[in-house]
Amino acid sequence: MINYAYYPGCVAKESGKELDNSTRFITEKLGINLVDMPEASCCGGGVIDGFDHNLKLYINGRTLALAEKLGYDILTICNTCTLTLSEVNEELINNPEALKKTNDYLSKIGLKYSGKVKVKHLLYIIRDEIGLDKLKNAVTYSLDGVKVAPFYGCHILRPSSVLKFDDVENPSGFEELIKALGAEPVSYIRRTKCCGFQTILVNEVTSTSLAGNAIYEAQQNKADVMVTPCPLCHLSLDTYQGVAAMNINKELSLPILHLPQLIGVALGGSYAEMGFSRHNISFRAVMSKIKQNKLK
Amino acid sequence: MEFTVKSYRFNPEIDEKSYYKEYVLNDFPGMTVLNALMKVKAEIDGTLSFRRSCRSAICGSCAMKINGITKLACKTQISSEIEKFGIIKVDPLGNMPIIRDLIVDQEVFFDKIKEIKPYLLGKKDYIEDDFKALKDGEKIKQPVYYKTEFQTLTGNNDTPNCILCECCYSECGGVVANPKYLGPAALAKLYRYSEDPRDNDKNGSRLVNGSKPAGMFDCVLCQACEEFCPKGISPVKTIVKMHEKAIKNSITFSKGAKHIIGIARSIQETGRLDEIKVAVDSVGISGILNDLPVAIGAGLKGKMPPLRLKLIKDMEDIRVAFKDLNLEEKHD
Repeated sequence: MINYAYYPGCVAKESGKELDNSTRFITEKLGINLVDMPEASCCGGGVIDGFDHNLKLYINGRTLALAEKLGYDILTICNTCTLTLSEVNEELINNPEALKKTNDYLSKIGLKYSGKVKVKHLLYIIRDEIGLDKLKNAVTYSLDGVKVAPFYGCHILRPSSVLKFDDVENPSGFEELIKALGAEPVSYIRRTKCCGFQTILVNEVTSTSLAGNAIYEAQQNKADVMVTPCPLCHLSLDTYQGVAAMNINKELSLPILHLPQLIGVALGGSYAEMGFSRHNISFRAVMSKIKQNKLK
Repeated sequence: MEFTVKSYRFNPEIDEKSYYKEYVLNDFPGMTVLNALMKVKAEIDGTLSFRRSCRSAICGSCAMKINGITKLACKTQISSEIEKFGIIKVDPLGNMPIIRDLIVDQEVFFDKIKEIKPYLLGKKDYIEDDFKALKDGEKIKQPVYYKTEFQTLTGNNDTPNCILCECCYSECGGVVANPKYLGPAALAKLYRYSEDPRDNDKNGSRLVNGSKPAGMFDCVLCQACEEFCPKGISPVKTIVKMHEKAIKNSITFSKGAKHIIGIARSIQETGRLDEIKVAVDSVGISGILNDLPVAIGAGLKGKMPPLRLKLIKDMEDIRVAFKDLNLEEKHD
């Protein structure tokens, strides 16, 4: 078992509980032990910098210090949490002034951070540390014949000065994982583009058009399902899919899965265990097809 | 090494629709994409049209999409592109209308640059606005800009180094979503002038105008502008700095500012992001009513977040952070 300090982020604990549940399902099967951090706070949703930069350092420095105290690296399942924690980690490691300021605060609450923690997203933990061969061997239902459109989103790739998981111009980690499950990755231009979530409350019409265009392109490329490693992208792509369809004036009906849900299905998870009934667009037809591909 | 250039072609005078044309070339050590295009034009097809000038990554003329990513052709090596993609596929810049082949109409981009008044405001220039002016002689607060800190964050704070190449604008998710959005280059320039102590912006009009719809709060934070700027500038970080500065100066009429404050307030109160509260704070009850079909749909699927969130463990730690930074009273 590999231990990780588990940082699910807020959405996976609130409206997107199916993401937390499916993550726990697959990590157990893949030999990852998630160590909860009930003291950890919200990272600031990607916008807290716009309120106060030092607040971003303090609250995320605190989360990093909690993980350091546990002695584990952080496992994330949200792109925006990944970027925010990584940015703060980078700044604390490289800027002694910022580290001192943050540690002055941390000392008041009985914590200290020395920069030893790494922040890693589940997608790349599976690829780089668990290994795709182990994932392949754990598959009980092959996804053979299923066309999967990977939607990376922004904050798992950019800025590459901070996030170094993949090639920012031509990433392949997601596709490799999809292939390991027996499925066929769909190639489309918008796989690395923005879902628009960050402005969904500011300008819904324009923001949902980004998600809509990505879904439409994936549909045009014959995708059966789209998968995302980020619950914020999932909200844009699934919850707002009807609004997006109206805004771009196209017919859209593509099931959108969280990354661990796709893996979970291949590892034998049921419709209920993966929480698919909580999604806007039904995954039932594709699921029925997969359930005929039992391997073990 | 033999390689192929696959170029977007469209001449509105003779073509009904666009197409791609392929040219086979041999490389030489250090050959750039611009070298290749110039070779095509000189030796194979003189009709291929593209902008270029300095060949030294200074003029910004030869920006185009190379294998799907906006780059300066003169700064992009053939060898690295071939190694990664196996081909040199070139397209015109995004987010602007195409004039011919790889040439786009830049008018909309420069109109937006002009819109932010890219010059120091003199006594006669400063803009009257409905925003309540500060007292005579009082300048807008500069509470957050520490040059060394910013340099460490971005590696480069030289927004004046922008060469107006439009790489950021071409890749900007915000402009894709909303063609009226000012975009990263204009907003980075707005930041540059809003930070200049010589600027006669007496009442914060730059930040007020920048906070209006299609301004800085329409940034989708996709980070593409920072990633693909050939000069190492980070427009998105300047935009976020302006968010912070606007909020600290109580320029909070925009939905975007309310959204950010809503998230901060939620963290101060619960340690978590309260999805319902943040939505109400951002768009108000009328905005929520507009979104009722989405909310009901999500509710029926069991996705309604809890109305009352459980506090995180050791919540007092977070309150200490707000208190230490003197941020408690700024939530009203």
